[in-house]
Amino acid sequence: MNLGELTIEEFHQGLVTKKFTALEAVQNLFNHIKKTDKKIGAYLSLDEDGAIKSTEEVDIKISKGESISILAGIPMAIKDNILIKNLPATAASRILENYKASYDASVIKKLKEEQAVFIGKTNMDEFAMGSSTENSSFHITHNPHDPKRVPGGSSGGSAAAVASGQALAALGSDTGGSIRQPADFCGLVGLRPTYGAVSRSGLIAMASSLDQIGPIAKTARDAAILARAIYGKDSMDSTSVGLDLGGDILNPKLKDIESITIGLPIEYFPKEINKDISKGLEMVSQEFKNLKVNFKKISLPHTKYAISSYYIILPAEVSANLARFDGIRYSRIKNKESDNLKKLYFSQKTSGFGTETKRRVILGTFVLSSGYYDDYYKKAQQMRAIISKEFEEVFHEVDVILTPTSPTPAFKIGEKIADPLAMYMSDMFTIPSSLAGLPAISIPTGHKTEEGLPTSFQLIGKKWADATILKIGQLYEKTIGTEGKTAF
Amino acid sequence: MELARLEIDGREEEKLLKDLQKIVGYFDELKELDIESTEPMTGGTDLNNVFRDDKDKQGTNLGSGTNGFPETNDDNFLKIPPVFE
Repeated sequence: MNLGELTIEEFHQGLVTKKFTALEAVQNLFNHIKKTDKKIGAYLSLDEDGAIKSTEEVDIKISKGESISILAGIPMAIKDNILIKNLPATAASRILENYKASYDASVIKKLKEEQAVFIGKTNMDEFAMGSSTENSSFHITHNPHDPKRVPGGSSGGSAAAVASGQALAALGSDTGGSIRQPADFCGLVGLRPTYGAVSRSGLIAMASSLDQIGPIAKTARDAAILARAIYGKDSMDSTSVGLDLGGDILNPKLKDIESITIGLPIEYFPKEINKDISKGLEMVSQEFKNLKVNFKKISLPHTKYAISSYYIILPAEVSANLARFDGIRYSRIKNKESDNLKKLYFSQKTSGFGTETKRRVILGTFVLSSGYYDDYYKKAQQMRAIISKEFEEVFHEVDVILTPTSPTPAFKIGEKIADPLAMYMSDMFTIPSSLAGLPAISIPTGHKTEEGLPTSFQLIGKKWADATILKIGQLYEKTIGTEGKTAF
Repeated sequence: MELARLEIDGREEEKLLKDLQKIVGYFDELKELDIESTEPMTGGTDLNNVFRDDKDKQGTNLGSGTNGFPETNDDNFLKIPPVFE
């Protein structure tokens, strides 16, 4: 049996009842990875020695009969833009090809305290720019449900690793949907926390006002277990806020949701919506209706402007954040040396950045340049304020918002890569809540297409109501009978 | 390109120009709106002025910046090519 298919609680039970040791589990998993990852391409680098070493203490504790954390010994995959000390952190970019992280991200510090085990660093779109993981500078990643299709992005490697049983759970980062959309495409649960709920220290920044780290897991319950471990205020990230998820986060009660109202925004259910997505969503609504949840049609009229607003603000922040990668401070590409500083900048950046990254850096430089600032950047920020306010207002009438996660199931490799605008549109349902800084979770509906591709729904919560959407997600899994079971 | 410190060759430039025209053209939908009176949202958080006490503090990541330099001299100074020709 491949132990990577277990949920966190099943794995924990296996450890404490001595069905297997943490070491055996890691060895089992690496065998599975060596057999499967040539076809999937989920990982950019593996750390077998480090993973084996970190199981030692866990196994000693168990053999002595001491209690262990629920995350102790749990093999996890980590997106390559999150720093683990002494391991490569390339963010799938050539410009960081030779970089090794010199400190742990705050979320990694927290997981190390729980004695989680890190298997390796996962593939992604370069610097998290993309929705298909095709923008990785190293290789593409295939969707485990259909290798001809993309796993989504930008956290596509993390999602593919979990969906193919190469890790029990993973961390990704979500700027405009980069956790939720790959979780959707791979039949998993993906949580984007409220902006500020999780420290960004040690996350290679793309767009600082939007980036958040979050879990990709097989079930909402696993996502909640991980959330409990990584949430919290951190002095290294002054935008972080201490949020208590509550002692009952893993014990949601049906009566808690009987009186809630779920909002269905008309803008997220266009007439031309994909028929499988629509079928999945109908199924979800019916299940919730059976649980006596109230529904209300709502309107968020400025939703259609979210893509423009986002794809102006994001490149603007990208162009500032990526200025630091100059071949001087982090790593240097060999054979692109120069005897003069300015020439070195040009040669390093030109050969180090991929097409989409260059496109966004140039776009960002443009929207911020004098003469265009008012027309683009300022307008985008004003639109962001309007979209945020609109959410705030509807949350007086409803408790959570239910939408599709993506307009389509996983698309084919190569289908959208030549048309950046078409690729940007695939984030249309995840971007608005990102702009507003709201928590959102993607959960499989249970309905699959004829080709066997998963479909998902998204729950958007009020600011800091991360626990609410995690609980509703767990109750949904209980209702349709996938609780504690993996979707594959 | 000069601002972004990027060199783009002829063929790449053609494709890039076409893509950017399409993308920026799409953004023009914002121009049709009268939203001048709205206060822009300038970040992801509504927190203001996060201060800490003005005291000595030992950083937890001490040395980690300099450890990562690709090229240093014996004193751990960052080594760079000449700035002036």
